[in-house]
Amino acid sequence: MIIGSTFKTLAILAALATAGHAADQAEFYLREEIPLPPGEVMEIGSIALMPDRKVAVTTRRGDLWICEGAYEDDLSQVRWKKFAGGLHEPLGMFWKDGALWLTQRPEVSRLKDSNNDGTADSFETISAGWGINGDYHEYAFGSDPDANGDIWVVLCLTGSFTADSDWRGWCVRVTPDGTMIPTCSGIRSPGGIGFNAAGDVFYTDNQGPWNGSSSLKWLKPGSFQGNPTGNKFHQKAGLPAPPEVADKSRTETERAKFPAYIPPAVVFPHARVGQSPTGITPDMSGGKFGPWDGQLYVGEQTHSEVQRVFLEQVNGIYQGAVFKFLGGFEAGLIPVRLDQQEGVLFAGGSNRGWGSRGSKPFTFERVRWTGKTPFEIIAMSATRDGFILSFAEPVAAATAGDPGSYAMDAWTYILQSDYGSPEVDQAKPRITAAQVAPDGKSVRLTIDGLVKGHVHHLRADGVRAAGGGSLWHPEAWYTLNEIPD
Amino acid sequence: MMRRTIFLLMGLGAATAAGQDGGQLYTMHCAACHGDDGRGATGGAFPPLMNSPWVNTDPALAIKVILHGLEGPVEVLGTTYNLAMPPQGASLVDHEIAAILSYVRSSWGNTGDVVTTELVKAVRARTEDRKQPWTAGELLKEHPLPVTESALRNLTFQAFFGEFPDLPDFSKLTAQNIETENRGLISGSHGLREQNFAVLWLAEFMAPADGEYVFKLDSDDMSRVLINGTEVVEVAGMGPMGRAQEGNITLAKGPQPIRIEFVQGAGEFGIALAWKGPDGGPWQWLSEQTGGGVNPWPNIPILANDDAPVIYRNFIGGTTPRAIGVGFPGGVNLAWSADHHAPELIWRGLFMDGGRHWTDRGVGPEPPAGDDVVKSSNAPAFAKRAESSARWPDKLELDVRFRGYKLGGPAEVLFSLEAGGMKVLDSYSATADRALLRTIKTDGTATDPVAMLITRGTPVSPAGGGTYQLDGGVRITVQPSNALRLLQDGSLVLALEPRSSTQIRYSWP
Repeated sequence: MIIGSTFKTLAILAALATAGHAADQAEFYLREEIPLPPGEVMEIGSIALMPDRKVAVTTRRGDLWICEGAYEDDLSQVRWKKFAGGLHEPLGMFWKDGALWLTQRPEVSRLKDSNNDGTADSFETISAGWGINGDYHEYAFGSDPDANGDIWVVLCLTGSFTADSDWRGWCVRVTPDGTMIPTCSGIRSPGGIGFNAAGDVFYTDNQGPWNGSSSLKWLKPGSFQGNPTGNKFHQKAGLPAPPEVADKSRTETERAKFPAYIPPAVVFPHARVGQSPTGITPDMSGGKFGPWDGQLYVGEQTHSEVQRVFLEQVNGIYQGAVFKFLGGFEAGLIPVRLDQQEGVLFAGGSNRGWGSRGSKPFTFERVRWTGKTPFEIIAMSATRDGFILSFAEPVAAATAGDPGSYAMDAWTYILQSDYGSPEVDQAKPRITAAQVAPDGKSVRLTIDGLVKGHVHHLRADGVRAAGGGSLWHPEAWYTLNEIPD
Repeated sequence: MMRRTIFLLMGLGAATAAGQDGGQLYTMHCAACHGDDGRGATGGAFPPLMNSPWVNTDPALAIKVILHGLEGPVEVLGTTYNLAMPPQGASLVDHEIAAILSYVRSSWGNTGDVVTTELVKAVRARTEDRKQPWTAGELLKEHPLPVTESALRNLTFQAFFGEFPDLPDFSKLTAQNIETENRGLISGSHGLREQNFAVLWLAEFMAPADGEYVFKLDSDDMSRVLINGTEVVEVAGMGPMGRAQEGNITLAKGPQPIRIEFVQGAGEFGIALAWKGPDGGPWQWLSEQTGGGVNPWPNIPILANDDAPVIYRNFIGGTTPRAIGVGFPGGVNLAWSADHHAPELIWRGLFMDGGRHWTDRGVGPEPPAGDDVVKSSNAPAFAKRAESSARWPDKLELDVRFRGYKLGGPAEVLFSLEAGGMKVLDSYSATADRALLRTIKTDGTATDPVAMLITRGTPVSPAGGGTYQLDGGVRITVQPSNALRLLQDGSLVLALEPRSSTQIRYSWP
């Protein structure tokens, strides 16, 4: 009886905590469902922004719809028009030069409405240079065009363990004239692809064989991303052989042997930060979505969330921190797209085949900033002997200057052919000093025992804003690939 | 007051040690798919753990699923799921798996006992060579689930031999044999032969309560169920499993006479029958074949608009992965292979069914939904001119590039390609009399003709005047009438000249 009532109390406390978080979010960010065409199954796989404030979406069933009114205050007035059907699971779309460019499972295509009747009539195949064999797992995620107009496509392995069709496990670039250029190897199971503010290309890769945890990875041309299953295809294009990494090793060990092995830029610790990272969109809005200009937002399918990523380059390698950001979406998120001019974040998704905390089978949503900034760690940047944290508003020096307000632990994962990895090689870096900057908006942490290659998990629960508020999200996970000199 | 606080804290401690840890791990690792409430996420789109025999039986079964994952169709409480559970053995340690399973087996009305870390460790050691996810069949072989008693009593089975175009009037037939089925389960495999027979089962259905009952029937080929002389559900016509139908009937508690009729024509056969009572709950099977043999996806017919063709571009069974299905109004269909650059499948009637690809992960190729499917060719469609060649080459001889397709006019689809330096437009429309009209046009960018495959792999015989009869019922008529040539291997080939136009009509008698 007593245990029962304790459980009840715990349940109520848990419910209150969740409700509190949701209330917090609504104070800063307004998440709204965009009504979908009635009766249609809209399992959204890509989102493109079009002229005249139109938004195009593709569905996993192969339809392409265009929405008008997605920016209006009154979302009940949105209008939908079906632009095309019969597409093959598009996962990537953008608008350029009067056409919608799609990455479909078998090809990169350009769709046009040449007779201006509001529906596509021309379905041009730009490149079908990679293999598909009929296995559902052979997904293809395509980027927006880069500075050269090239589309980057990450090609999922055939299953979890094999690469049975050409260029599976690789990233290829497709030029506007349809030439396909194999660019990176070592890919497992992507969930999305996008650029950072500097125009470098990143993708998300899911936990599984050779991925101890899911992560955000940098597609440096010529790089190897850690999973050797698709290595064999280099021979088809006369490229150098990708690294044959050792099983049951560590990323840190193998990348010392193979310079082509670029480590994950930011590990999203499995189950703690999510289970299936997906779409990537940079914030280049100049502050229209909060003080996160230059950072990345990354969708999360299983937890129905959007995470926030701070990136920096140290010794030529990308690394950085992931922070929890937006939650409570109605289904598993797949694409996310920030309108840089309007500061509106669009997110869509589905949980068909892969479960999610959001319990609807599919969703299309938008998030707008209320203009109120949450008290958050904006950035976490590595130094020779610790990290510099910058904050959204001045901190209370008495708390932020006290090393006891912080805690840190660190770990890594086994690099192995088995599916996933436990957290291993745990370390306990010691925060020895916390020095608050004169303007109160940053803190320099001096840390004894940083471990190169490890995920460094920071808790800053004790830090208070000058006005007394506590952090909306007191945690950060920094992947320390390189320690600055 | 003091005393009460202490008790509360002790309670909290106990919960943390025994239950809450497993619950938290479950929420973190499992709940996105199986649901916080154990019912399966998204209204049961994923397998439930609540009341699942998979969870409440020998815990080694669930330990194996967690350690190595599970792929392919699996039936849980009467519903078949075709998903993939990723292996967790490399990321979860033994005591975490034990805590999760102990939580699951003691939650939501489940009745399993606690799972110890030692047991997980032992199962892990026993299965350390296992590298691939399990299939349901592999696991059930070693860990059979408890069988629930059938609701059929006094079940008899009568087999009748012959070709039956429809369900026959059984009263006018003489049974080849009559048997009693003591397990109370129907099975098509007791028909004593594999083709051309009918079966009549008679029994009493033991209704546990007054109220509304639902019966789900699937069969290859046709079947129906009558209770108290009233038809409850029918699967009509010849066809494969995967055409499950449901029907309702109100029954009084107690034995109700049930009659199950079944006809098998040619090819594969099977029958699956399940029911749900007034209290809902899972499907209960009355057949040896259960949900595992039934397609877990619904029928989602894909239909052409009145004035425009419909396109389907997922994996179409019988042709290559990059096939583009086109369904014209009036029920004339083709699947154009963008790998082989040819209309490899041509058929009439229903176009495609999206159920397979639009349910769960969408595993496997889906064959055309309609009738008279003809596989017109099976190899790359362009080769160097085959004047002297007796056989069509298996491998691609020419550089061919598929450039995409256009929807032209109200009912025309044009595939565009480049072959041998020539631009080729391969376009299709449906005629008013339900024939398929194909026009192949080339431009003048090349000077040399190339060979283009029209049929291969299906026997074809010339019928004179540019007409050819293809096995399976399709007639091909070409203009100009001398444009095609039959190679010794039976391939029908077009000499494709620059700046030419060839018309091919595919018609059915």
